[in-house]
Amino acid sequence: MKREELSLGAAPESIVQRLTEGGAELPTQDHGHGHGGGQMESVREATYRGHHIVVRTTYQLEVDGMPIEGHMGVTNDGQVHYHAVPNLSFASAVDMVKKLIDTFPEDFQAGGHTEAGRHTHTHGQGS
Amino acid sequence: MAATRRNILTDTTARKNYIQGVTLLKQEFLGPTTADLQIPGPAVPVSTYDLFVVWHHYAMGTFTPQTQGDRNAAHRGPVFLPWHRFMLILLELQLQRVLNDADAGIPYWDWAADGEAAPADQDDSAVWNDDCMGGQGSPITTGPFAFDANDPAGWRVRVTADVQGELVQANRGLRRGFGQNVAGLPTQADVAAALNLNEYDRSPWSTQSPGFRNRVEGWRPLAGAPGLHNRVHVWVGGDMLPSSSPNDPVFYLNHCNEDRIWAAWQDTFPNSPYLPDQTASAELRGHRIDDDMYSLLTNPVTPRQMLDPSDFYSYDDLQVS
Repeated sequence: MKREELSLGAAPESIVQRLTEGGAELPTQDHGHGHGGGQMESVREATYRGHHIVVRTTYQLEVDGMPIEGHMGVTNDGQVHYHAVPNLSFASAVDMVKKLIDTFPEDFQAGGHTEAGRHTHTHGQGS
Repeated sequence: MAATRRNILTDTTARKNYIQGVTLLKQEFLGPTTADLQIPGPAVPVSTYDLFVVWHHYAMGTFTPQTQGDRNAAHRGPVFLPWHRFMLILLELQLQRVLNDADAGIPYWDWAADGEAAPADQDDSAVWNDDCMGGQGSPITTGPFAFDANDPAGWRVRVTADVQGELVQANRGLRRGFGQNVAGLPTQADVAAALNLNEYDRSPWSTQSPGFRNRVEGWRPLAGAPGLHNRVHVWVGGDMLPSSSPNDPVFYLNHCNEDRIWAAWQDTFPNSPYLPDQTASAELRGHRIDDDMYSLLTNPVTPRQMLDPSDFYSYDDLQVS
C-alpha cells in the first residue's frame, strides 16, 4: 500500500467526518452473547467421523449478587475466556471471575453496584 | 519518506519523540465526543489518542462471524497481525503530524531481551525508568505518564472498559502491576520457536490453530499460554489487561515488537503466503486476504494491503531472537 492512499483518510478532518457523520460502524454495547439475567450461552461445534457435534454451555455469573454479563466463551479445548480480559484464558470459570475482581476494582467496591450505577458512573480517583 | 522504527532502549531520539508525540495526541481534541462513540454519561470531548483506545475496544467486540464467540475483528484469528499493523501505521501518521516529522517512527520494546533476565529482575529494565515509560503502581507515580492529582492536563485514563465489557468514562491515573498475573516475560527462545513455524495460519483459524500467527498472538502452545503478545499484556498488567489496553503507551511498544517479529518471519519465509485466501468460507469474513478490516477512524484496508509496509516504515534491526 502506498502512503498517499492512507494519508488522506488519516487526516484529522477525515477522522472527524467519519466519526461524527456515521461513517464508522459501532457495534452495540449489548453484553455480547448474554441472554439477560446474567446468563451467557456458549456454542461449540465440531465434526468427528462425519458426525456434527454441538455443545451448548450456559453460564450465569454473579459476584455479591451482581450479574456479570459481558461476553464469555468456551473454546473446544475447554478453556473459558471473557471479553473484558482478552489476553487470558482459564481452565476454571471461578479463577476467571477472581481475575475480574482483581482487574476491575471499581466495579466491585462496597459489595457491587446497581444496574443504573453501572451505566452512568465515572471511574475516577480525583480531580 | 518512510520511518525507521528503532529500539526504544537504544535510541534516545525515538524515545523522546514517541513520548512527546503521544502526549500531544492525548491533549488534542478534534471534535468527537463520548456521545458520538456511544459511551454513556455526559458528552465530553475524546482526544485523538483516546480514539485509538475506542477503536481497539470496538474491534475486539465485533465477532467474526457473530454466530461464534472466539474470533473477533482484530484478535483470535488470522487478521490479528495485519489489523494491528494497520492500527500502528495510522497512529504513526498521527505522531508524524503532531511532531511535524514525516520520519518519526513508533519505537519497539524488545521484551524478549528483558525476558532473558531472572523474573525477579525483569522490572529493573530501563524501559521502566523515569525517562522512558515510568514504573508500576495504581496509579503509576513515575515517568512521563505519572498521575498527578493536581494536574488535570496530565496523563489520565479517560475511557476504559468495565467488567461488563462496556466502555465507560474514567478520570484516573494509569495502572500497571508487573508480574502479578504471570511470572515472567517471553524469552528469546519463545520468539525463536515462533520463527520456526513456516505456515502463517491454519484451520480452525482461531485460538486453537497451529501456525505462526497464533503462536505470536500467544494462545499456543497451551501449556505455555499466555505466550508472546498475550504474555506481555498480562505481565505489565493494570490497564494493559482490558480491551482498552491502548490506554497505556506501552501497548504500541509491545505491538511494534510483534510487528517486527512478523516482518522477520516474512523475511525468513518469503514464499509462505498470508492465509486464508479469498476462496475460504464466508464464515471467515474479516480475516481473508482481501476482506475489509474493521476500521473506526478511516476507510477500511485489507490484509493484503498490509503485507508490504515499506512505503510507511522499516525496522533498524530484524534480529528478533
